Amino acid sequence: MLEFARYDGRKRLRGSLVMAAGLAAFAALIVWVYPSFSAMDNIDQFVEAYPEPLIEAFGIRSLTTIGGFLATEIYSFGWVILLGLYFAYAAASIVAGDVEDERMDMLLSLPVSRVRLVGERFAALGVPLLVVNVVTPVVVYAGVQFVDASIDAADLVAVHALSVPYLLACAAIGLVFSVVLSRESTAQRAALGSVFGLFLLESALASTDLEWLGALTPMRYYDPTAVLVDGQYDLQGATVLLGATAVLLAGALLLFRRKDIQ
Amino acid sequence: MAPVEVEGLTKHYGDVVANDALSFEVEAGEVFGYLGPNGAGKTTTIRTLMGFQSPTAGTARLLGADVRDEGAHIEARRRIGYLPESPAFDESATGRELLDLHAAVKGDERRDELLELFSPPLDRPIREYSTGNVQMLGLVQAFMHDPDLVVMDEPTSGLDPLKVQQFNEFLRGEQRAGTTVFMSSHQLSEVRRVCDRVGVIREAELVTTERVDALLRRSGKFVRLRAAEPLDAGDVAMDGVHDVQVRPGDGDDGVTEMTFTYTGDVNPLVERVAGYDLLDLDVEEAPLEEVFMRFYGGEAGA
Repeated sequence: MLEFARYDGRKRLRGSLVMAAGLAAFAALIVWVYPSFSAMDNIDQFVEAYPEPLIEAFGIRSLTTIGGFLATEIYSFGWVILLGLYFAYAAASIVAGDVEDERMDMLLSLPVSRVRLVGERFAALGVPLLVVNVVTPVVVYAGVQFVDASIDAADLVAVHALSVPYLLACAAIGLVFSVVLSRESTAQRAALGSVFGLFLLESALASTDLEWLGALTPMRYYDPTAVLVDGQYDLQGATVLLGATAVLLAGALLLFRRKDIQ
Repeated sequence: MAPVEVEGLTKHYGDVVANDALSFEVEAGEVFGYLGPNGAGKTTTIRTLMGFQSPTAGTARLLGADVRDEGAHIEARRRIGYLPESPAFDESATGRELLDLHAAVKGDERRDELLELFSPPLDRPIREYSTGNVQMLGLVQAFMHDPDLVVMDEPTSGLDPLKVQQFNEFLRGEQRAGTTVFMSSHQLSEVRRVCDRVGVIREAELVTTERVDALLRRSGKFVRLRAAEPLDAGDVAMDGVHDVQVRPGDGDDGVTEMTFTYTGDVNPLVERVAGYDLLDLDVEEAPLEEVFMRFYGGEAGA
């Protein structure tokens, strides 16, 4: 068991380390900028000048506290958008890429079920998921100490832990496209477009009559600002995200099970 | 129970009928050639047999496992080797990593033995492989778990002639060891060397299944003769002579060149032409393409 998860996981390890190094460097830069930023006067006035949807989009609450600053600068951008897109994109390649390049035939000739094959390869996304979420908080925590600020370690762990269900949901969206569409580049574009579209939708609808529609987006259920500023952990949201992931994953696997590979 | 049983197998792609109610069996220990021109539906049958797509109607069983029953088919695949027409692997992997993955899933008791015969550069990434090396890697993975049944789509495409010869010898060894082989080919010379029996598919329909020796007997010889005297078709008219073509030779030296197909014993033919002033006489096996044209061509679409 798990031969494909191990194989794919190994293949993803190097890229994951590179990505984690990049995100950690980005996080270190943000932390390093914080003292000079927080020393500026009238930051909050400056923020108020932003239009409401932008404030919503980046979860801007308070840029003067380290928690609010990191939530906006690192997590709303790096995790909700960048990594959300990355996982959707990566998952979109899992099936469509192999089908398009005719590698899938070789894999399906092996004595394994289709569900197990794709399920394991989806699970291999756990490697980048784990690596970025282990490396970055260590760098952020150390960086915050270095600039003589302080951050609650539990909140930092929580903001990463709660990102896992969110990123899994983004990946599951990508996997559905990977199964439904048979060209890799089309599946990737569809996955990127959908996740980014959902992000825009959630931001644009905030504080409007249609705000309830945002409940259909995964971004509604992962709020780094709430975690890092208020210490509020949305466990219910995480459960919703895990449920959505399970439903999308099951749907993708069932579709793939019945699909004619051509 | 025959290792391959195909029953009324039909596959439509939209309006296109790719396989139309095919029925045949491949017996245990048999090397069965699945022949037909490009686009006839050979690959469609193989893809359905391997479970990559489901039949529109009818069904097939490999080692007793119905292709529509995923669980049974998976079990059967432990004892099945497969080589697609143009095998494609994860290009970033080395040949060794790829074989290790396959070994972990299905076993590799014969890997070393096969690698002595087919030797892709195992420690290089597959993206650097030539077509022939990819094909050799494909052959190794197809046989490494010592399967009872091997399904191959154009197995020698991309191999150089020496490797083709090695492959044919290897296949004969497998045959002696009792392995059942189902392989498609359009290379008839290959089929007649390694196959016991052939199934011929044309425009989605199975035209015939026949023993190769019977087919060759029926298909006859291709005869080319040059004579230093004027001859016409009537001079070789006898039972078993077909499709005579006469070409006057070059210049006015009276040389005639004549070609025809001949089915029958070769002695009466030799007696018949012995009286002519022959410059040259070639008697060779008819190319199977022509055999198909002659026996099955006219029936196509009928």
